Amino acid sequence: MNERILVVDDEESLRLSLKFKLKSAGFDVDVAADGEEALEKLKARPADAVLLDINMPRMSGIEALTIIRQKYPQTETIMLTGFADFSTAIECLKIGAKDYLVKPVDTTELVTRLRSLVRSRSSERALQEVHQEYTGLISEDLIDPLKKIQTMLDQASKLAVDADKDRKKLISNARELMDKMEAKLKLLVEFSKRAATIGTPGGTELSPTQLAEQLKGIRKGTTK
Amino acid sequence: MALKKEATEIQYLYKFKFDDGTEKNFEVVLNSTTLELIRDDPNPKPEWTKLKYSQCENCPLPDSVEYCPVAVSLAKLVESFHDAASYESAAVTVETPQRTFFKKTTLQKGLSAIIGIYMSTSNCPVTDRLRPMTRFHLPFANSIETFFRSVSSYLTAQFLLMRQGRQPDWEMKHLQGIYRAVNLVNKGMTTRLLKATEKDANVNAVVILHSFGDGINYFIESGLAELEPMFAVFMKDPVAPENGADVTDPAHSHLS
Repeated sequence: MNERILVVDDEESLRLSLKFKLKSAGFDVDVAADGEEALEKLKARPADAVLLDINMPRMSGIEALTIIRQKYPQTETIMLTGFADFSTAIECLKIGAKDYLVKPVDTTELVTRLRSLVRSRSSERALQEVHQEYTGLISEDLIDPLKKIQTMLDQASKLAVDADKDRKKLISNARELMDKMEAKLKLLVEFSKRAATIGTPGGTELSPTQLAEQLKGIRKGTTK
Repeated sequence: MALKKEATEIQYLYKFKFDDGTEKNFEVVLNSTTLELIRDDPNPKPEWTKLKYSQCENCPLPDSVEYCPVAVSLAKLVESFHDAASYESAAVTVETPQRTFFKKTTLQKGLSAIIGIYMSTSNCPVTDRLRPMTRFHLPFANSIETFFRSVSSYLTAQFLLMRQGRQPDWEMKHLQGIYRAVNLVNKGMTTRLLKATEKDANVNAVVILHSFGDGINYFIESGLAELEPMFAVFMKDPVAPENGADVTDPAHSHLS
């Protein structure tokens, strides 16, 4: 999954050239012509980082930055300006911008800064996803079925002596759930062994995103 | 009947009309043969137009040259808009010998077009390479139109080189180098203008020119391929039939 960057500038040629450059560098890039359009785009699809021009009609970059920091704290922002102004730069950084670049921007430098900024953000997000999938697997795929099995066994023990057919059905359903749990637990053990080697010499080189995908696969039953 | 004498000059008249009713006019006059700018230098020339004042890092001009030719050409325009904001709205009319263009646009966009002409016609040895494009100046052009004009101009130069028996660069390998060099001049010019102005209109106008240079690589590598469907007729049959279009071709069924 490529990191998503939203370029916000009122000048079409600047939007286009930044889009070209960042796409070539492997980012997923969208553009907006002003602050209002940027907020609409973020609402529809969040971005890892926003490149935000300061001087724009309708809504200034600083106004947009303030709203983005409030509504999308996970999204990093780099301010762009054609006119270096120290006090404005300080104001932007105080509001929460990560950087302040003067146009024309050296795109090699911009790509380097963006990579460092969004890769760490992206890893954090992927780790959160790993945690969510792991918690979901334990609670929804293991504990919930276990409770169902307990209920089934309770019901089976309370059935009349001659209700053999119903008892067999309950026990069969419980066994089916147990088989599914056992399969997932085996995969989870394998997954845990692999994950434990991350960062060790010769260990697995799975990224947090790949780990999250593997957990999703275990939960959906697509990982064998 | 005697043929009408060809004009020796090309004039581009830029008229900026602002929301408060004020107007500013600038006339750019070029030699119609060489496309060299017929300069109307300020007197005295501002300090920031001196060559050594924030000289571009790739400037090939010798120390004996006292003033940067581009900066001097831009001086009056820059002074006139030194306190203007880039996104200020303006109704811009451009009168050329052939036609009149009009657009309600931002000041930076209007300024960008006129600054582009000054930069390529002022005898700067780096930006000179873009001079032929000014003969086909297209005010308010978007990026794709500018890229297309740029590529067309460069390929025309290659064709003329080929006709002289010299080695043409059909793959446009050196066009990217031209724009890299031009962008160093654009960058140098923004540094000058930052010192000469109070608001961002002039600077952002040059930044727009810089963005074209930044995008040209991508246009050559990917953008041109996106235009291929428009050239489908050439892709299908590179050589046009000598007696006109083949009307039996299903593509021309509407003609039959």
